[in-house]
Parts: sequence; C-alpha cells; structure tokens
Amino acid sequence: MERTLVVDDSPTIRRMVIASLRDTCVGGFSEAGSGLEAIEQLAVGPVSLVVLDLNMPDMHGLEVLRFVRKHQAFRRLPVVVLTTRGDEESRAAALAAGASLYLTKPFTPQALAGHVRSLLESAHGEHA
Amino acid sequence: MTSDEDFLAGFMDDYFAECDEHLSAMRRLLLVLDDGLNGGELDPSCLDDLFRTFHSIKGISGMVELREAEMLAHHMESYLRVLRQREAVLTKDGLDALINGVDALERTIAARRSGESTPENDRALGLLSAVTPASGAARPMPAAASASRAAANWKVTFVPSSSLVSRGVNVDSVRGRLRAAGTLVDAAPQVRPEGVAFEFLLAAELPEAVREQWREDGISTEPLGPSGDTPRGDVLRRPEEGPARTIQPSHVVRVDLTRLDELMRMIGDLVITRARMDETLKGLERHVPAVEWRPVQENSATLERQLRDLREGVVRLRLVPVSEIFSRVPFVVRDLAREFGKDVRVELRGQHTEIDKFLIERMLDPVVHLVRNAVSHGFETPAERQAAGKPPQGTLTLAAAGAGDIVVIEVSDDGRGIDAARVVARARAAGIALADGAVDDSTLLRIICSPGFSTRDESDRASGRGVGMAVVQTTIDELNGTLSLDTTPGQGTRFTIELPLTLSITDALLAVVGDRRFAVPQASVREVVEVTPGVLRRVGRHEVAPFRGGMLPIVRLSDIFGIAARPGRALHVFVIGSGSDAVGLAVDRITGQREIVVRSMTDALVDVPGVLGATDLGDGRVVLILDAAAIARSGPGGLVGAQS
Repeated sequence: MERTLVVDDSPTIRRMVIASLRDTCVGGFSEAGSGLEAIEQLAVGPVSLVVLDLNMPDMHGLEVLRFVRKHQAFRRLPVVVLTTRGDEESRAAALAAGASLYLTKPFTPQALAGHVRSLLESAHGEHA
Repeated sequence: MTSDEDFLAGFMDDYFAECDEHLSAMRRLLLVLDDGLNGGELDPSCLDDLFRTFHSIKGISGMVELREAEMLAHHMESYLRVLRQREAVLTKDGLDALINGVDALERTIAARRSGESTPENDRALGLLSAVTPASGAARPMPAAASASRAAANWKVTFVPSSSLVSRGVNVDSVRGRLRAAGTLVDAAPQVRPEGVAFEFLLAAELPEAVREQWREDGISTEPLGPSGDTPRGDVLRRPEEGPARTIQPSHVVRVDLTRLDELMRMIGDLVITRARMDETLKGLERHVPAVEWRPVQENSATLERQLRDLREGVVRLRLVPVSEIFSRVPFVVRDLAREFGKDVRVELRGQHTEIDKFLIERMLDPVVHLVRNAVSHGFETPAERQAAGKPPQGTLTLAAAGAGDIVVIEVSDDGRGIDAARVVARARAAGIALADGAVDDSTLLRIICSPGFSTRDESDRASGRGVGMAVVQTTIDELNGTLSLDTTPGQGTRFTIELPLTLSITDALLAVVGDRRFAVPQASVREVVEVTPGVLRRVGRHEVAPFRGGMLPIVRLSDIFGIAARPGRALHVFVIGSGSDAVGLAVDRITGQREIVVRSMTDALVDVPGVLGATDLGDGRVVLILDAAAIARSGPGGLVGAQS
C-alpha cells in the first residue's frame, strides 16, 4: 500500500496532520522530521503523497521539493506544501518548484482533508 | 465544544511538551548569545537555531489557537530574521528584548496550561518592536557561511535501503554516528544509478575498525585530499549544523508524569504485597522441610531484587537534569544585578545531575528565590567590594551533585554574609522570641525562615515575588528535604539543599519505642549510635550525650509521642543533621532496614508535625514514618517548638 509521507520538524504538527488525513489517506503514514529523512523515506518506500513543511533544520522544504521533482519517478507525485502563515512570499517559489498545492498553518482538519481529497481526485483523473 | 476544539484538545499535551523543549533550547541559545555579546564571537548558527525555535513555536501555537504566544514568537522571529539578514546587529537591548520575550512566552504558555488568563505581554512586545528595524520583511535567507570545508578529510556515502531502515540504520542515525566521530561539514542527497545516496563531508580520525563496522551498515568512506573538496555533480549543498541543533532526538517517548505516578503507585502496591508474602512465608517456614524451603526462599529473594530493579528503573524514567532549573538562573541574575547595580558572574556546576521531574518543578521557585536574595542582599556593589579588598565582580555559584539516594543543591555567593545582629534585631522587633547569646547559623536560618520574620523592605519586594524564605523552607520540608545555611561575615553565604532523589518509595530504618513501631528514612540518618544511660547529662531542660568530642542533644521519641519510657536501658540513637545542627533521636531498639512505601497523611486530623506519612510493612499494621529532619529542627530548645 502506498503511504503518505508527512514531513515537519514538529512532532505535534506531524501528529495533527496524520489525525486530519486518517480518513482521506488510507494507505498509512510515514513521518520525517528533516529534509534528508524525507528524501530517504521517498527512496526506500512507495509514497503516494507528501505533506511538506518548508522551514526545517537541515534542508529547506523547497530544496527537498526541487530535488524530488528532478527525478522521473517523482515528477507526478502529489506534494502538498504546508507552511506557517506569514511565509506567503514563498507561495510563488513553492509553486514554481513544483508544489501541487500550497496551504498554510494553522489549518483546520476539515480544510486540510478537503484540499487533499480534491488533489488526489484530480491526480487520479489525470492518470485515467 | 466544536469539533475543532475537540481535535485540538487531543494535542495539548504534545503542544506543551514540544514548547518545553523549544523554551529550554531558547534559554540555552540566549546564554550563548549573551556570552557572545560579552566579548566572545557571535555564532551565526546560533541565530539560525534561535530563529527556528521561534518559528516552530509560532507554528504550533497558531495550530492550538494560542494567539498571544503566536504573536510573541512572530515578533521574535522577525527580529531574528533581521539579525540573520545582517540588517541589524545584536545589541544588549536586543538581547534584553529577546529575554523578556522568551519570559513572556513561557508565562503565556504556562497560563494556558494551568487554565489561567493570559498575562499582559505589551511590555515584551514593545521592547521587541523597539529593536526591530521597520523592514524585516521575509526574504530568502542567504546561505550561512559554510563550516570550513577544507577541514574535511573524509567523504562518507550512505545508500539507504528499506532493510537498513528497518534495522534502524537511517540517514538520521548515520548523521548521529558521524557527528559522534568528528565534525560534520556538509550533508547532501544525491541521485545515483542505484538510487538515492547521501554524501557527507567529515573531519575526523577514522580508524579502520570503525570504517569496517560502518561498511556493514551500508556506509562507505573515502579519504579526501588536502583541499577537502571533491568535484561533484549537480547536487544540493547545505552547511551542516552542529550537534546542538538537534532539539528533537528521535526514539524519545513523551509520557505524562501522572502516568509515571500511577506506575510508581502500582510498584508501591507490589512492594507491600511482597512484604505481606514475606510475613506469610515466615509463618510457614517451620512447617516445610528445609530441602523444599530453600527454593521458596531463593525465589522470594530473587523477587525482592527484581522488584527493586523495577522500582529503580521507574525512578530513572522520572529523572531530568537539574539544568532545567539552573539554566534560568543567569537570566534572573542578569536582570536583577542591573537593577541593583551589582556585578555578578554565575557559575554552574553539576548541571547534569539528575533529579525527579516532580521535585524539579517544585524546586524552581525556591532556588530562584535564593538566587534573588543573593543578588539583592548578598552581594555588595562593585565599589563596596573593592573597598573590602575583593574583586569588583561577585560570583554566584549553583552546584548540584548526587550522592546515593540524595541530591545536594548549593546556592552560594561570595558577598557580605548575613548580618546576624541585624537579623536578630529585626526578629525581636517582629516579636519572635529568641534565646539570649550568640546566634549560630542554624538558628539564623530558623529565624529568616520563620513565617513571622517580615522581609518587606524595598529590596525584598524584588526578591520576594510572593515566595519568602518561609515558603522556601516549607517547600523543601514537603519534599522531605533539608535546608542548611553557612554564612561568614565579609566572605559570603551558602545555602545547601538536600533532597531525596525521588519520593514515595524509600529505604528506611525500623525502630521500636515501647510497643510502637516507627520508620525513619535512611537518607536522613547520618549515623546510628548506642548511648548508655550513665553518660547522659542534663543541660537545662534537655538531655545531652557526649558525641565526637562535643555534646549531642537527645530527643526521646517516647517523650514526643507520650509513650512510657523504660528508664535504665541503653538508648539507640539516630544521629540526624551534622555539625552543630546534629540531634540524636532516641528509640528503644532498631529492628531492621526495609524498603517502604510512603503514603502521605492526607487526613488533616493526623497531620502531625514530625510525621511524614505512614507505611504498611506487610503485616497489616500501619507504621508512622518520621520526618527526622523536622523533629531535629524542632528538637531541644527549638525555635519552632512544634512538639512542645
């Protein structure tokens, strides 16, 4: 089963994201607390969706995203950038780097699940 | 409750725990910056780390809708952004604003935790706005100066795989290994034909044996030439952070303290059940043939040992380093020293000494109070110090050390010492009855800790913050600890706090007086001696026995508890306290040593001074646990006289 990868240096936020998406992403979750860990998780297991924070200690989320998009296998992988409100300047940069969706924290569980659901539906539509 | 509130309620414990981690990281980083301002060098990675902690708290505070915390963190983050972008230079005022901000943040989060209303943060926000230049707009960070790549002498490559990851060998643990081995200069992911690889530049001595071991875990090493740089493909490079940046080690489980309390209570029940079983077995022994009895006894002994291991294991779970208290002290001193025109250096020793989390939380205010007292009263001004032939800068020392089941915390200053004559005069003015004659340190301590001793002159309002010395003493008493004082005019003052490592289960000595049994926690007993009645003498209303070249005042438990004494018999005496504070607690017999479970006396009717609680030794009878230190304090001629 393909998993959803939740990348954030805050374990609290990771738990909140997972709790919000439990019904939407049924393949289970893996977590990464840093950019390098995120890339490792992508390398070792099939991942169907990434929820990605931007400000992280070792590697900025945008760099993770650019790295990921360079590779054929991940070109179409849905990546939701979920960053703290106030960093909106990075919206354009994130979309340019290949973010599928740009959302800000704080989020409500319903809103996050709703956005992710429509993203997954449209992604499936493309494949069909 | 709306569904959102329900959702958030489930994460508040995580939120507070994560805030605690960020707050303690902030305090540590602010200290580094303070050092940097005082002549050292400002480490840019420190600004980065601080920025990230503010950013993280802002993010999670927003999620839990604690807007005030979000706002404070946002302002501090903005200031840090300006500093990192080199649009401003960190000044003393800037650091003050950050310290104030972190203080306000901590109070705001604590208020939410205890369900109180949010404190006023206008001053903290005002200070932050004043130091933050108007621009401060977010823009991409310039890459921080990379650590010296030339220093790297190894290129280390790790190719992750699911089998390695399942064995716990992942990029994070590999990074940890490299940091332990040397200085990590750079880390970057790379795509290779075989998949993703992580390339690290490391400055370290790597013996062949280590590299061999790493190879088995998919980590390959390659020596680098003196330049330290090898040509690489189009890969991303980030300067690697130092070990201090890891705020969140993985493999850490957060547990609510109440769950550990519950676990400890269950172990307490087990200890009592085992003691009961022991009693039952004793009764059976004579009915069972020796050959069959031996395995029963061996199993019982093994059970006892394993139970003790279990208990020690749970106690260890609850231990946290005393630095949780100590790290706050430099800030308190910094503010107060300025306010009172003092120049004080803080020296911290034994910060890694561990102590029960519950004790840490209760001890914070008392320790901070002692520190405030030292700065406002203890130290002279630089001019006064120089006139007295001392260095202008005073030294405040906080030291902690563990000794068996006890933790000792010392707060000492090299200031003017306590003016005994002035204290006595004030005590008399406040209507506290005092014996005539010279006042020793322990009497002095009793006076300054007595509730009637008013400490309401101007400087004390600063020291006070609602916690007087009486509260310090009461808190330490409640934790079964002791407080002692050592002061020398012109040279300084030292407060020594001794605390049990943990509460609730302890080793005790059992004693008998008449037909009553008592338990005395072993940690409070210095020595056990036997005293023959012939050597006892009366001094005024009190009995004393010769002891180590001096006289030891004797307190008979039979007197305190109104039990008929047995004249003419030898007394067994627990020596409590040391030096001139030592008091002998006399009992008829000492019957043994046991692990006991302390049940506190919650019934006000049995809240007897001198009694810590009660325990069940397994035979169903309740045994009182004595608060030896309190009895010794109130002992013969005591100021408090609780037992009179």
